[in-house]
Amino acid sequence: MSAATNYVAFILTALTALLLPPLLLATIRKTKARMQNRLGTRLFQPYYDLLKFLAKAETVSSTTSWVFRSTAVANLVTVILIAFLTPWLSYGPHFRDASDLFLIVYLFGLARFMTVLAALDAGSVFGGFGASREVTLALLIEPGVVLALASLACVAHTSSLGSIMSYSLVDNPVLYTQPIMWLLAGSGLFLASVAELSRMPVDDPTTHLELTMVHEAMILENSGRNLALTEYTHVLKMAVLLGLSGQCFLHSVADLWSANDLVRGAASIAIIFALTLVIALMESLIVKLQWRKVPEFISYAVGMSLLCFLIAVGVR
Amino acid sequence: MIANLDAYQILAISAAVMAMLMLGTTHLKGGLSFYMVHTILVAAQAVFMGGMRTQLHEYLVPILYAGFKGVGVPIFLTYVMKKIEVDDDAGTYLPPPLCLHIGILMLGVSYLLASHMPGLVAASDAHIGAMAAMSMLFTGMLLMLTRKLAISQLIGFLVMENGIYVFACSHTHGMPMLVEMGILLDVLVGVIAAGLLSNSIKRSFEHIDVTKLTDLKG
Repeated sequence: MSAATNYVAFILTALTALLLPPLLLATIRKTKARMQNRLGTRLFQPYYDLLKFLAKAETVSSTTSWVFRSTAVANLVTVILIAFLTPWLSYGPHFRDASDLFLIVYLFGLARFMTVLAALDAGSVFGGFGASREVTLALLIEPGVVLALASLACVAHTSSLGSIMSYSLVDNPVLYTQPIMWLLAGSGLFLASVAELSRMPVDDPTTHLELTMVHEAMILENSGRNLALTEYTHVLKMAVLLGLSGQCFLHSVADLWSANDLVRGAASIAIIFALTLVIALMESLIVKLQWRKVPEFISYAVGMSLLCFLIAVGVR
Repeated sequence: MIANLDAYQILAISAAVMAMLMLGTTHLKGGLSFYMVHTILVAAQAVFMGGMRTQLHEYLVPILYAGFKGVGVPIFLTYVMKKIEVDDDAGTYLPPPLCLHIGILMLGVSYLLASHMPGLVAASDAHIGAMAAMSMLFTGMLLMLTRKLAISQLIGFLVMENGIYVFACSHTHGMPMLVEMGILLDVLVGVIAAGLLSNSIKRSFEHIDVTKLTDLKG
C-alpha cells in the first residue's frame, strides 16, 4: 500500500468511526418503529440528540468525585483507541502489532471498569445495582469473547487481531480453509456483543424501569455534555463490536480474501448494518429474558466459542 | 481433515450441534424447535450418506423420518404441552449453561472415541458420522439425566434414538426398508404412549415432575 492510499484509508476509517455509529442506533430505532407500524423518528435523530445534549447544561450530583467527572472522557478515549487498533473496518495496517487481542479485551474491560466506578461514585441506588449487574454480565461474557478470538489466534499463530483478520493468505493460510470456524467465532462474538451492548434479550435500552435496566441504570446520573459523550461512546462501541463479529463472518467468504480494499471496506460497512438489522429484528420479535435466564442466553455465545475452540484444537 | 467437509459430514455435525443447543435452554418450545431442525438434519444426512441414492425407498425412509419424527412428534408434543399446561422445565439437576458446555466438550470426547474405537469403518464419512452419532447419544443422555420434566426426558430419548440411527446410517449405507420403518413406527408409538401417559400423570398428580413420582407408593 503506498503512502497516499494509506492516508486516504486512514481518513476514511476516521470519518466512518466518527459518523457511522449514531446511524446504527437510528437503523435499530427506525426498524423497530416500522415493525410496530409506527413511523418512527427521523433517520438522523441520534445526531440531533447528540448535538442537543452537547449544548445543554450539566447537573452534577454534589456527592460525586473526580472519578465521575473523568469517566465519560476516559471511556471515549479508550473506545476511540480500540476503534483505531482493531480491524473492525477491515483496515488496520498502521497498528497491526499493537492490536493484540488481550489488549483489546482488557481495554474493553477498562472502559467497563470506569463506567462501573462512575455509577458507584454517584451513590444512587440505581447506579449500585446497575453496576453489580454489569459486572455479573461481564463475567459471563468474557470467556465467550476471549475463547473465540483466542481460538482464531491459536490457528493463526499470532495474537495480533490485525494479522488474524488481515485477509492475508501469507499470514494465515490455515484460517483460509476454515470458514466454519470463522462463522462460529462470528456468531459467538455477535451473541456476546448483544449482551455486552445491553440490547434485548439481555437488557432493554429503551426503558427506565428498575427491574430491567443494566446499562441505563449506570449512566442515569449523566446529563448534558457528559451524557452526549457517554451515548456516543456506547454507539461507537456498538459499531466496533458488531464490526469485529462482522469481520469474522466476512472472513468465511473466500472471495473477499482476494478482493481489493475498497470492496472489503464496503462489505464491512454492509455487514455492520446487516447485524444491526438482526439486532433490531430480535428486539422486535423476542421478549426480554428474565434476569436469571440471562446466563442461558450467554451460554450460547460461550458455546459457539467452545465449538470454535474444538475446531482450533483439531486443526492446529 | 476438518478442512474439507462434504455435504454429509456438514449435515451430520450440524445435526449433532443442533441437538446440543437443546441442552442450553429450559424453554420447552425453544427446545422443541431445536429438536425439529435437528431431526430434519438427521433425515437429510441419511439421504447424503454414501453419495447419491438410486432407489426410491432410500428417499422414502428419510422423508418419512423427517415427516413423522421431525414434524409429527413436535406437533404432538406441543399439543400435549398445551394440554398439561407446561412451557418451562420445572428444574434441572445441572444448570442448563453448564449442561450445554459439557455437551460441547462431549463432542470433543466423541471425536477422540470415534478415532480410537476398534471395529469402526475407517472411511472419513463413517468417522464423522460415528462422531456425530456418539455426540447425540451423550446429548440425549445428558438431557435425560439432568431434566426433571417427563417431556424433556422424552425429547432426550428421541435424541438418543436419532444418534443410533445416524450411527447405523454411517456404518451400513442404509438398512433394509422394513427395519427402518419398524423402528420408526416403534418410536412413534412410544412417543404417543409417553405423551398420553404424561397427560394422565398430570391429571392424577397435577405435575409431571419425575422426581416426585415416588408419591405413587402412597
